[in-house]
Amino acid sequence: MNMRLLLSSLFYKSPFENLQKHADKVKECAQLFQEAMVCHIGDDCKEYDLLTEQVARMESEADAIKRNIRNHLPRGILMPVDKFQFLQYLREQDKVLDELEEALFWLSFRPRGIPDEVANDIHELVEAVIPAIEKLPELVALATAYFRSKSNEQRTKMKSLIRDIRQHEREADLLERELKFKIFSTIKEALVVYHLIRLVEIVGNIADHAQNASDRMRAMIAQ
Amino acid sequence: MSLDLIVLSIATLVGLYMAANIGANDLANAMGTSVGSGAITLKQAVLISIIANTLGAVLAGGYVTSTISKGMINPALLASDPTKLMLGMFAALISAGICVNLATYLALPVSTTHAIVGAVVGFGIISVGAGAVSWNKIIAIVISWVISPAAGACLAGGIYYFAEKKILSTKDPYEASEHYAPYLIFLVFLVLILSVIFKGLKNLHLEIGFFTTILLSFPIAAIAGLFGRGWLRWQVQRICELQPDRYANSLAECLFAQLQILTASYIAFAHGANDVANAIGPLAAIFSVVKTKAVALQVEVPFWMLFVGGIAVGGGLLVFGTRVMETIGKNITEITPTRGFCAQFGAATTILICSRLGLPVSTTHVLVGSVVGVGLMRGMGALDLRILKNIGLSWVVTLPFTMLLAMLFYKLLTYFLL
Repeated sequence: MNMRLLLSSLFYKSPFENLQKHADKVKECAQLFQEAMVCHIGDDCKEYDLLTEQVARMESEADAIKRNIRNHLPRGILMPVDKFQFLQYLREQDKVLDELEEALFWLSFRPRGIPDEVANDIHELVEAVIPAIEKLPELVALATAYFRSKSNEQRTKMKSLIRDIRQHEREADLLERELKFKIFSTIKEALVVYHLIRLVEIVGNIADHAQNASDRMRAMIAQ
Repeated sequence: MSLDLIVLSIATLVGLYMAANIGANDLANAMGTSVGSGAITLKQAVLISIIANTLGAVLAGGYVTSTISKGMINPALLASDPTKLMLGMFAALISAGICVNLATYLALPVSTTHAIVGAVVGFGIISVGAGAVSWNKIIAIVISWVISPAAGACLAGGIYYFAEKKILSTKDPYEASEHYAPYLIFLVFLVLILSVIFKGLKNLHLEIGFFTTILLSFPIAAIAGLFGRGWLRWQVQRICELQPDRYANSLAECLFAQLQILTASYIAFAHGANDVANAIGPLAAIFSVVKTKAVALQVEVPFWMLFVGGIAVGGGLLVFGTRVMETIGKNITEITPTRGFCAQFGAATTILICSRLGLPVSTTHVLVGSVVGVGLMRGMGALDLRILKNIGLSWVVTLPFTMLLAMLFYKLLTYFLL
């Protein structure tokens, strides 16, 4: 840095760029996860391990992005949002990924472990969770634009997106509870019940973390 | 050739070099803000700088010049020996030039203003003694270095806060910006006209009283605001509506980009009023000694010298500053026209006020303060405040360094030449 370029060394690379990359990775993983789940529930699934591997690889890539963001936000960087809230958002968005990966691994421990009685319900639960995650990149993009323009219009859009995510989470929560009830009432074998209950909980957590993330975002744009 | 002429010609060269350096550093940073937001092109920036900077130097550049050459040291104590004053100012110019060069080489954010102040003080101490230096004045100047970026931050942050609340986050930002723009233009012109009338017209030997000044400036600024409204409408139709996607689809931002043409001229003007003196002040003192063969109590800076200084600063920007501006422009895409407007408005107003008070402040440091002020209002993507530490360090280091260097040069010059 020198006097000549004093002004340009004042400007630091916005961490929102990398946050967007991270959110995009999360969305991609969610789609792979969905594919893997549908495959697993189906009769003859050959790609499951391949898809799990792909998700695991993307998870570690996303981890690298997360670390990059964290390691490059030293003290003395002034941001339009509270740094603490920003990192909390990142943490929750990253947990979505961790849980996606965890669900796939958990399922792989018992191949063909989903009985036909609950197969449809689990599929339904997965379908309910995915839209919440898919909205995260859009949310980050809107946030980037909002912090640049401070336009009320973008803020309103963000608020409605956050509301949507909350709605998805609520639906997923409802499904999760019904599904647990059904598992306990229809399946008698303890091992299967344990495996399924834990699976349902992990999938439910995915939506929870997506909602937590969006709540943090809401706090960032609070006036 | 006599000693006088040799000193005068070398001093002129060093003075011009300093002026060019100031153009390449301070002015390039000031204009980079407009280039970065996309409000003006590189060529426009150069053109605006050369014109507005020279106008600033000629119309409003008197006070600081007299501070540099006589306010800090008492020339009466050197009255018996005008050659000493001449050599001292010469040593000061050379030391400041070396300091600025070294800072560029070492990549330190050193201000040319601070360098020259330190050098003149150094000469004062060694030639007459610490008693010749008006320490009160020096303390005021040093305090102003710290206060002026803070003042820029408050002004820029305040204006940004207002712009965000009343314009950007309203239902119709364009309508709001069109509504408030004439008032902003009014403010810019008011400060400009006040600073020109209050002191600058002295350069043209016109005396206008305080009340006449107030009576004159308000209506003129109001007329400028009214004309500004029409000009903005025309610009918006001509530029914004043809390329609606240019400023992130925001007509309000596009309108502010037009306003930034105004603030770019404003800051170049303020820069001329404040910074041209750094290079010209010592030169004017040398010139006066050579011409009158005596130490004048009041060094009148000739009109033409301010003009030449202004041109030299503009030339420095043109020759050495365009690449700097280009780089800055590319690196600070975070600056939107609204943010750029606020930062430039805050900086230019602070500089003009300081200049009016006779305080030589650093344009770039004030500008950095103003940008941080907008950032503190949560108006910037991510700012690296760690450079503030370097700026603080340069405040502490520059003064003693150029002081010692000027002392050394003065000793050498008097040893060999007298």
